[in-house]
Amino acid sequence: MTNIEKVFLKIGSIDRRWIFIIIALVVVVPLLVPIGLPIRATDTSKSVYDAVEALPKGSKVLLSIEYSPSTKPENHPMAISMMRHLFRNNHKVYVTCLWPDGQFMAQDALNQVAVGEFDKKYGEDYVLLGYRPGGEAVVKGIVSNIRKLFSVDARQTKVDDIPMMDEITNFKDFDFLFSASAGYPGTIEWVQYAADPTGVPMSSGVTSIQVNEVMPYVQSGQMVGVLAGMPGAAEYESLIGQKGSATSGMDAQSVAHLVIVLFIVLGNISYFIDRKRSRKY
Amino acid sequence: MEFSALLGAWVASFLTIGIFSYLYKDNPFYKIAEHLFVGVSAGYLLSLGFWTQLQPNLFGRLFPAKHYDPDTITYTIYNVLSFFSSSIFPEGGIDKGHDQHLIYLIPLILGIMMLMSLIPSFSWMARWGIAYVVGMAAGLKAYGYLNSNVIGQIKGTAVNIFDFSLPIFSLSSPSVFNNLIIFVGTICGLLYFYFSKEHKGLLGKASKIGIYFLMISFGASFGFAVMGRISLLIGRFTDLITFSGSDYNYATFWVLILIVGVLGYAAFQDKEKEIVSSDDSDVFTEEE
Repeated sequence: MTNIEKVFLKIGSIDRRWIFIIIALVVVVPLLVPIGLPIRATDTSKSVYDAVEALPKGSKVLLSIEYSPSTKPENHPMAISMMRHLFRNNHKVYVTCLWPDGQFMAQDALNQVAVGEFDKKYGEDYVLLGYRPGGEAVVKGIVSNIRKLFSVDARQTKVDDIPMMDEITNFKDFDFLFSASAGYPGTIEWVQYAADPTGVPMSSGVTSIQVNEVMPYVQSGQMVGVLAGMPGAAEYESLIGQKGSATSGMDAQSVAHLVIVLFIVLGNISYFIDRKRSRKY
Repeated sequence: MEFSALLGAWVASFLTIGIFSYLYKDNPFYKIAEHLFVGVSAGYLLSLGFWTQLQPNLFGRLFPAKHYDPDTITYTIYNVLSFFSSSIFPEGGIDKGHDQHLIYLIPLILGIMMLMSLIPSFSWMARWGIAYVVGMAAGLKAYGYLNSNVIGQIKGTAVNIFDFSLPIFSLSSPSVFNNLIIFVGTICGLLYFYFSKEHKGLLGKASKIGIYFLMISFGASFGFAVMGRISLLIGRFTDLITFSGSDYNYATFWVLILIVGVLGYAAFQDKEKEIVSSDDSDVFTEEE
């Protein structure tokens, strides 16, 4: 056995805790010392941006928040960027949540964007309808009669007393839907029970792990584009021209991916050397 | 800085590093963080579900303030309930903009029956509630899947492979090449799951091509899964870096020192115990 083969075999049998330390380092270092790698928007992210841009001023947009703090680094920048884009174009934003934790995620994003950056008025420019349990039953409820399901908003104000709810009775009254989703119930349920049956256009921002599940809906035209994980969020930040947490995380993301690819290559070389050796003896 | 923000940063640092400590090995810090997460999540879900759905949409429809009349049986029961909890059943009925719908007694009864699974002698009652939920979910799912995943996806894959008005090759936008890939990939992928005939000859070759398409799909899924996990790690590290500043009294560093110190000391003690026990077993062997 050559020395190189011995080195590869040793790499293959390394304690996995060393790999954890290396991954931690390659993530932390670019966060502390940013490289500034370029971010280029993909067609799917651009489609979402174009769809929002094409909406006439004052359109009614339903923004559904279905994620929890566990996927905040991926979904929250999407929700924030989408709110910035919607408020900048003076659309009316209606926020619902299919996940219980989504309510305070939505509250956090609204405080930052609607109140902090755009000084929008609650009940006239935006409303947080809040969370309702039931998954697809809630989506069906919104499609048939939203007022039956949300008789009060998240602040316990009656929807009849909220001015921007005057023209809203069901899902067809919205011009666009954006779902920031981390799983079930989420984007797929919105496609199945809301967008497909009614024809209201929808887009979504999903966690990386969901992209493969959601992409067929984008390619078949059932959805208009998709923001795919943290890179999707970073692309949207660059499209609206306002950098945020997703952009600052992309250096670390890229470097970590390179290191993981390197580990996979090294692991495979080690595996094949080991297999060859065991066949020999 | 507010005390609550400072405390939150310290708790977040402790829980994050506690969870990460599992990468070394299972330990009490990880257990504390895990149990806290499960408990808080369950409590939060229960509380939010009750106050956003049960109280306004169920009780609000059974006892609406609009129809409050203390002389009726319904509101006599309501007043008794109000005596026990005035926050759930406020005086004068629940004012959430609903009319009275006594048909909502059915879901209330079914819900109570589901809770009966906690009492072994009445656990059979839970089946009724579960049967309703399963039936409703199955009906809803069947419609959704048929409409979007079957019909919608068939429409999406019914592409014209001879549409030469499109460019011959393009990576992301529609092209003849991409249409061909969709056509071949869909047909071969479906043939792989056709089990009524042995996969030999033309069918065998087509199903093998189908496997390659599936493998590419699994590879993409794995890549996205890695990307997702790294994104979450970046999120946690971003917070830890923020909490390591002087504004938060260097929370990350102190918590890291505490956890690493305790785990290191425990590992050292374990090693000493191992040495002592191996010495004991040596003595025992010699005596034998």
